[in-house]
Amino acid sequence: MRSLFDFIIKHSYVILFLVLETVSLVLLFGFNSLQKEAFMTSANSVSGFILETRTNISGFFSLGKENSKLAAENARLQAELFMLRDSIADSSIAKSGNDIITARVIDNSIRKDDNYITLNRGSKDGIAQGMGVYDSNGAVGVIMLAGKHYSIVLPVINGKSSISCKIKGDNSFGFLEWSGGDASKAELRDLPYYATVNVGDTIVTSGYSKIFPEGINVGVVSDVQQITSGYTLKVSVRLAADLSNLGWVYINTTQADDELKQLWKEIEK
Amino acid sequence: MEAISLLKKIGQIILLVLLQVLLLNKINLFGYVTPMLYIWITIKAANNISQSGLLLLSFFTGLAVDMFTGTPGMNSAAITLLAFLQPFIFKLFVTYDRREQVIPSIDTMRRGPFVGYVTLCVIIHHLFYYVLKSIPVADWSMLIAKVLFSTILTVLLIVVVEGSYVKNAKKGRR
Repeated sequence: MRSLFDFIIKHSYVILFLVLETVSLVLLFGFNSLQKEAFMTSANSVSGFILETRTNISGFFSLGKENSKLAAENARLQAELFMLRDSIADSSIAKSGNDIITARVIDNSIRKDDNYITLNRGSKDGIAQGMGVYDSNGAVGVIMLAGKHYSIVLPVINGKSSISCKIKGDNSFGFLEWSGGDASKAELRDLPYYATVNVGDTIVTSGYSKIFPEGINVGVVSDVQQITSGYTLKVSVRLAADLSNLGWVYINTTQADDELKQLWKEIEK
Repeated sequence: MEAISLLKKIGQIILLVLLQVLLLNKINLFGYVTPMLYIWITIKAANNISQSGLLLLSFFTGLAVDMFTGTPGMNSAAITLLAFLQPFIFKLFVTYDRREQVIPSIDTMRRGPFVGYVTLCVIIHHLFYYVLKSIPVADWSMLIAKVLFSTILTVLLIVVVEGSYVKNAKKGRR
């Protein structure tokens, strides 16, 4: 009995090793609950704070560039505003605008197999899962997790991302997906083979799922291939947003209303 | 004394983790080669540290890195395996009296054995890390390439840091 006890004491580190390794693997493979994930990932307050501090410091050095980008955007918005004023004056129905939150990108990756973006706004600021994120150039991704103060975006250059898009001026739609590699390119899939797509056409969000408002820039068609087996087209898209250089982004908070959500749920059953 | 050396270790861990997540994780040569200096904490463990202590320190270091990279369990699993094997790997490269404290370094082991020791440690860590990362493994040649190039980079970094450390220590002694 005593020797058994001694044996256990002497080799307790083996048991500890097995316990720690099991904990790690359970964390790694048994992870599904979103709340747990939000705690562990960079939406966590401590790591979020440190990442934000880094961004604040490095952001200081790119102020000039960011400023000129903002100025250019201001000019563009100014022009759009005048145009809209004219058109509102024409039509009697003024469409209600979408509510938009601005957020700062505090962590970003573009070269991994699974890329994520961390923002410095969270549920406290009104951000929830499933909201569309875009910057002045075009669509960036969709909110995957919202912590209290920070949130994580599933960018278009993540293998799990799929965004409903259409060709500007034509109403045929497909899904924008990414299969790794170049962070400036993605693919539009499931487009019917009879759709008229030409190199140089602009791709915009469809607005069907209400994640994005309709007509947010996504990218430009750079190549069209016909998939003979599936009766669909495979369209390469050069992304409008520069995912390697994100500063401030906009989050579309207008989501599908409850009735629409209810209907989708009915279908999924 | 014990408490001071533990505090020193924790200070080292915080420094290494910050260096890893704020700087080194931004390095992605060819898209997938990232140096992982944080395993320094395990590689530089003295021969007389308690094995359970080393396991715990390493595990929490890995977990801290995981917290930033959003990969719970991946770094901690790999570094815990390394912490478990470290004493055995160390014994392969040096012979020493059990009672005296030896910290793996160029000074105590000479350059050749030290580089060999570091390389073996890093390969074990990286192999397990990249296998976990790419499960289910579809492309073995890609996996081997990742392990190989990351190992070269990490070993190079550790040897360079160790080399400058030794130089500074010598300057201080004069």
